[in-house]
Amino acid sequence: MEMKSWSRKSLLGLEDMNREEIICLLDKAKEFQKVLSQKGSVLDLLKGKRIINLFMEPSTRTRVAFEVAAKTLSADIISIAESSSSLTKGETLRDTALNIQALGADAIVIRHSSPGSALFLSKTIDVPIINAGDGAHEHPSQALLDIFTLRENLGALDGKKITILGDILFSRVARSNLWGLKKLGASVTFAGPSTLVPEGFEKLGAKVTHNLHRALENADAVMLLRIQHERQSSSHFPSLSEYTKIFGLSSNQEKILANKTLILHPGPINRGVEIDSTLADCSRSLILEQVSNGVAVRMAILYLCCTSFDKK
Amino acid sequence: MTTNFHIRGGKLLSGKSIISENTDLWIIDGKITFQSPSKTKRDLALHEISAHNKFVLPGLVDMRCHIGSTAAENIRMISRSAARGGYTTLLAMPDFTVMADDPGAVSLIRDSASKHSDVKIYATGCITENAEGKRLAPLGSLKEAGIVGVTDCPNSPQNCEIFAKGIEYAKMFDLPVIELPRENSLSKDGAAHDGSVALKMGLKPFPRAAEEIFVQRAITLSKHINASIHLTSLSSRGSVELVRIAKQNEVRISADVTPHHLLLTEESILGYDTNAKTSPPLRQEEDRIALIEGLRDGTIDAICSSHQPIPNHEKNIEFDLSPAGVLGLSTALSSVYKALSNYCDEKETLSVITGTMSTAPSNIMGLGKGGIEEGKKADLTIYDPQKNWIYTPSEDCSEIINSPFEGKTITGRVETTFANGKLIHTI
Repeated sequence: MEMKSWSRKSLLGLEDMNREEIICLLDKAKEFQKVLSQKGSVLDLLKGKRIINLFMEPSTRTRVAFEVAAKTLSADIISIAESSSSLTKGETLRDTALNIQALGADAIVIRHSSPGSALFLSKTIDVPIINAGDGAHEHPSQALLDIFTLRENLGALDGKKITILGDILFSRVARSNLWGLKKLGASVTFAGPSTLVPEGFEKLGAKVTHNLHRALENADAVMLLRIQHERQSSSHFPSLSEYTKIFGLSSNQEKILANKTLILHPGPINRGVEIDSTLADCSRSLILEQVSNGVAVRMAILYLCCTSFDKK
Repeated sequence: MTTNFHIRGGKLLSGKSIISENTDLWIIDGKITFQSPSKTKRDLALHEISAHNKFVLPGLVDMRCHIGSTAAENIRMISRSAARGGYTTLLAMPDFTVMADDPGAVSLIRDSASKHSDVKIYATGCITENAEGKRLAPLGSLKEAGIVGVTDCPNSPQNCEIFAKGIEYAKMFDLPVIELPRENSLSKDGAAHDGSVALKMGLKPFPRAAEEIFVQRAITLSKHINASIHLTSLSSRGSVELVRIAKQNEVRISADVTPHHLLLTEESILGYDTNAKTSPPLRQEEDRIALIEGLRDGTIDAICSSHQPIPNHEKNIEFDLSPAGVLGLSTALSSVYKALSNYCDEKETLSVITGTMSTAPSNIMGLGKGGIEEGKKADLTIYDPQKNWIYTPSEDCSEIINSPFEGKTITGRVETTFANGKLIHTI
C-alpha cells in the first residue's frame, strides 16, 4: 500500500515532498516502531544491501540511528567520517562519492557542511542518496522523526501550533520542520533573537517573533534548538549568558506554557543554555522519545528509498 | 580568403537614435566605406554578405573580463568566444595566471594577446600588490608596460586609505580606476542575494548593503579627490539610485552592469546551479528593473560581460565552495537585446546597445574604439535579432561550460564579426 505514494529514490529534503509522501513514510515508520518494541528482533528486508554512511561533519545521534536502522533491516552499513576519509587529502566530494559507488554501495547517507551537497551527489551518482544534513539547508530525517513524535503525542497536526525557538538562521532542522509541519497543517512560529531569526522567514511561511512570551503562550509544542556557536560569528548575539537570560527556557518561563505543551529538542542539548537542565528531563520533554523514534523513521527512509530504487 | 566585402541592406545606427534601414557598406582592404567601389575594385573578389533585417553594429567593447591563463590555447578560446559574441575589444582584469601587479605580468598578457587573439585585448593592472589591498602596486611602471586602467577586480580594496591613495596616485598617470564594489565584512562567504531564495537554500548572504556602502564610498572619494571612478557590475537598485544622484551632482562617476543581471534573478540559482553563481549575486526583480531603467536613462554607462571561464571540475562542485563567475562574451548581446526589448522600441534598444556596449566603454577607458566610420578599420558585427540558436560553449572547450544559458535556445545571434578589418567570425 505504501508504495502507491512512494516513488522516490533519494530523500533530499521535505520542501519538495507532498503530504501523502510524508504520511506514507510516517506510517511505515509506525510499522517498524512496533518491530523495534520487541527487543532483539531483526527484519531481513534489506539483506545484502550495502549502505555507506558518509559523515563529513560530526554526528552521534544521526549516524548511530542510521547504523541501527540499517542493521535492524539486515543491511551492511559502513560509516566513514571526515577525519578518516580521503577528503582530508584533497579529494573532492564528487570523486569520493564516485569511488564509494564503484565499491558497490547500494545507498549513501551523507552529512556535509555545504547546502545542496546531497542534491549535488544525487545528480552525480546513481544510487539512492539520503540527506543526513546539508549545511543550513535541510535535515529531513530529523524533521520526520520530530513530526513522527509530535503525531504520536498530539494526534493529527492540522491546526496545531508549533514553536521552534533558538538559532533558526543556521538551522537545517528548523527549515525541514517548517516544510514538513506546514504540509501536515500545523502553523509554525520561529522565535529567537532578531539576528538569528530574520523576518525573511515569514516569506517562507513561518510566523516570526522575537518575544519569548508570545512564542510560548499558545504553543502545543516547543522545539528548542541548540545555539550553534561553531557556525556563528561573534556578532549574532552578545554572549551565551545573555542568550540564556532573554531566550533560554527556564523554570520561570515554563509557567507560560499550557499544561499540555510538549518540549522537543533535536540534540545535542546545551544544558543551562537554551534549556534549564531540569526541564530537559521533565515529563513534558520528549527528547529521548525523539531519539528512539529516530531509528524507526530512518528504517522507513532506508527501506522506502532502497526498495523503490530496486523496482526501477 | 577575400579581404573585400559588400554588406548589403543592414540596419545601421547613424547619429544617436536614427536608424538607416537598408544601408549598404563595403569593407575594402579592411577599411569601411559607404561609397560603392569603382568597377575595377569590384572585380577584386568582393564577398557579399546579406544584412537584410539585421543590425550592423560597431564592434563591441567589453569593460570587464577575466581571462585567467595567458597560455596560447586559452587566449585563442577567449578570442573565439568574443568573436562569436560580436566583441572586438576586451578589457582584461588583472587576475591572470599571476596577478598583473608588476610590469612583467603585463608584458606576458600583452604578448600572448597580440600573438594569439583576433580581438584586441587591453590589460589592466592591480591598484594594490597582488590585489590584496595592503600596499600600492607600481602603477607608473605598469602604465609604461601598457595597462590602460587599474583595478583590484575581482577583489575590492577594503582599506579606505589605500583606496583613496590609489585613486590619487592613478590620477597622476591618467589611469582610469575601476572598482567592483563589495564590502567584505558584510558579505563574508556570501554566495547569494540575501532574499528568500538564499534563506531557503541555507546560503550565506551577499546583501545589497555590502555593495551600496562601497558605491557610496567611491562617490565620496571621487568627489573629494576630483578623480573619475568607474564602478563595475552594479547589481542593486540602491546602487543605481546612488549613482543617479551622484551624476546629478556632477560627480565623476561611471558604472556598468552585466548582461545576466539585466536578464536573470536569484531564482536562477535554485537547484544549486553553480552556473548561475555570479559576483555580485543575481538579485531580485526590482533590482533587475532598476538596472534596465539605469541603462535607459544613462545612469549606467556601459555593459560588461564579466566573462570568466572556469573548468567544470572546479565549477561544478558544492555551491558554497564553487567559485563565482560565468561565461558572458558569446551571449551578452542577445541577453541585453532580450532584456531591453521588453521595455524599449527597436530604435531605443539599438541606441542603448551601441552606446553601452561600444561607445561608452571605449570612451571611459580612452581606447578610441566604437563607431562605424568612413575610412576606419572595420570593427563591426552583424546581429540577427530573430535567429534562434542553441548555445553550446563546449564546442570551444569541452571542460568549460559555466554559463546559465548553456544548452539553452537563445533568440538573436551574432552572424559575422570583423575585427581590425579582418573577418574573424561567421556562421
